[in-house]
Amino acid sequence: MSSAPHILVIDDEPQILRAIRTILTEKQFRVTTASRGEEGLALAAANEPDLVILDLGLPDMDGVEVCQRLREWTQTPIIILSVRDSERDKVAALDMGADDYLTKPFGIEELLARVRVALRHSSRMQGTQSKVVNAGTITIDLAFHIVKRGDEEVKLTGREYKLLAYLASNHGRVLTHQSILTHVWGPEDADHTEYLRVYMRQLRKKLEDDPERPQYILTEPGIGYRFIADE
Amino acid sequence: MRSTSFLSQAWKYLLAFILIASITTIFFFLRDVLDTTLVALLYLIPLGIITAYWGLGPGITSALITFLTFNYFFIQPYYTLTVHRPADVVILMVFLIVAVVISQLVGRAQAGLAAATAREREATQLYELSTAFAGLPDDHAIVQILAKQVYAVAEGEYVELNITGARSFNFRLPESNPPPRSPELIIPIEAARGVLGEIRLWRAAPAISSSERRLFQTFASQGALALERAWLAQAESRTKVLEESDRLKSALLSSVSHELRTPLSTIKAAASSLRGKEVGWDSPARMELVAAIDDEADHLNMLVGNLLDMSRIESGALQPKREWNILAEIVGNVLGRMRHLAQEHTLKIDVPEDLPLIPVDYVQMEQVFTNLVSNSLKYAPANTVIWIRARVEGKSLHVQVSNQGPQVPSEHLERIFDKFYRITAADKVTGTGLGLSICKGIIEAHGGHIWAENLSDGLAFNFIVPLIWDGAKPPQLPMDMEAE
Repeated sequence: MSSAPHILVIDDEPQILRAIRTILTEKQFRVTTASRGEEGLALAAANEPDLVILDLGLPDMDGVEVCQRLREWTQTPIIILSVRDSERDKVAALDMGADDYLTKPFGIEELLARVRVALRHSSRMQGTQSKVVNAGTITIDLAFHIVKRGDEEVKLTGREYKLLAYLASNHGRVLTHQSILTHVWGPEDADHTEYLRVYMRQLRKKLEDDPERPQYILTEPGIGYRFIADE
Repeated sequence: MRSTSFLSQAWKYLLAFILIASITTIFFFLRDVLDTTLVALLYLIPLGIITAYWGLGPGITSALITFLTFNYFFIQPYYTLTVHRPADVVILMVFLIVAVVISQLVGRAQAGLAAATAREREATQLYELSTAFAGLPDDHAIVQILAKQVYAVAEGEYVELNITGARSFNFRLPESNPPPRSPELIIPIEAARGVLGEIRLWRAAPAISSSERRLFQTFASQGALALERAWLAQAESRTKVLEESDRLKSALLSSVSHELRTPLSTIKAAASSLRGKEVGWDSPARMELVAAIDDEADHLNMLVGNLLDMSRIESGALQPKREWNILAEIVGNVLGRMRHLAQEHTLKIDVPEDLPLIPVDYVQMEQVFTNLVSNSLKYAPANTVIWIRARVEGKSLHVQVSNQGPQVPSEHLERIFDKFYRITAADKVTGTGLGLSICKGIIEAHGGHIWAENLSDGLAFNFIVPLIWDGAKPPQLPMDMEAE
């Protein structure tokens, strides 16, 4: 990228804006802030930021709606911020096209990690996707459909591979139950979270060192799953 | 309906007339064998019958007609209304007087009986109404019963009950729009505090009589009493709830202000010393202070989360979002997150591999395990084991979280799930005193129950949640692993 990525932060709490702006500026990002939904939408249209950080609890409009209106014209990554216990809103925003979420209060490493992942994904959308994903000892070759743990090939069923490939090609990002079910099983099975529970367990048994305390396939309670790969 | 009543009245007169005519015909043919006095006496029988069955009007009329026919057919000279013999004059006069008096007496007795029956019916209706009202706490039900009773008793076309004021609503019978004209009867529902509403009755015919109006007024005042009683009872229970929540709030405030201040003090001390020049840039104390701020912020976040959970449970807003879940995944996730808190203890899991899927809210169930484990971590001494065990028992899942901490006196075992209930003094152990009561709220919202028991070497929390969800058993999944 030629210049520092431009991040638009939309949040109505001045302290949060101040903190995020300070940290992101420190990390060499360009930062614009808005405290209302309409203002945020206008700034997004004017500046075409590389990333939007959006609080779901805005005073003038529903954060999910902001998300929806942004998605009408731009694919710029959106990270949503929200408080605990609003899983329903988070899932709604994610299914509406938001890329990731953070629950307030959040640590700054978490924020930076999400920003990095989101920017990487958006740049990859324009370029070519990497064909091999590495996570610890696991290697997933998406071109040749080969999964290895160390030097040993891991035998996966068709469905398991499809599931793992979807997770791995979106590594670092949260994927909602509905999005995974729709991609791997089909829209008619989008409600069957029990499929996910069972298949994720199988995958963990085959891939994780300790399936009860997974390092790569993480559960996001009430939201979905996240695959953690090497940077 | 007025015309039918007129017809029935005319019908009674006609019947009376026919009866008199036929009796007269019979007597006419027997005239030669019957004595005049006997005829007069015999005439009294149909008169009594007519008055008894058809009322005073037909009775008196028949008496007069009989007087004339008696005179015309049976007193010589026949077929005139003149009377020759003085004895006949006496017979005639006596007959007239007796006939009229009998008619009146029988008629009055009849009317008295009818009135008594009507009064008894009214009393029964009132009794039924007040029995129906007795102990009804719901104003809508009261209004419904009142409207139904008025509708049934009046045999009206349409009844509407309007309750005005703060809790205004109305009830209509039948459930359609009222007739386009204005109602025939409007009775206010009045109580000591003023007018509560009104009964509107549509019945064109027969016209509403004054006794009916009186009856409905009595109905209305019965209704008013019942409504006032219901409202008072509601107000009283609301007051009780408010008092209870007030008490809770003050307990909460004292607990929370204490609890919040501890992490806040740590954060304030650490942050201000980092800001000042007391701690050198490379001093190892620096990292420690930063870690303290981070940890205490997490602690504060957990306290606020507990408060939110509690207020949701209190307000009944805690609706589990159930899905078929794997217990091991939930437990694993919780322990993974709590690992850094549990460095002084050993956590062991005994969850069978073949446990069926359980229909629970993932996030809420995590909360239950987090609270139970963190409670165990808090009370159990260092270097002891905390066990999480799960078993299927019939149609339920039984989970036990046990520790080797101090036992709880048996009289406290049940109360430790109460809000703010502590056995230890508040300043000895940190926490809002809400963790276990949140567990209880969540487990009960899932249709299960939770209890504590003393073990030989410690304390165990047990809970049971049903494995059946809306009548459905845990699903057998389409396992295509081997097939594919």
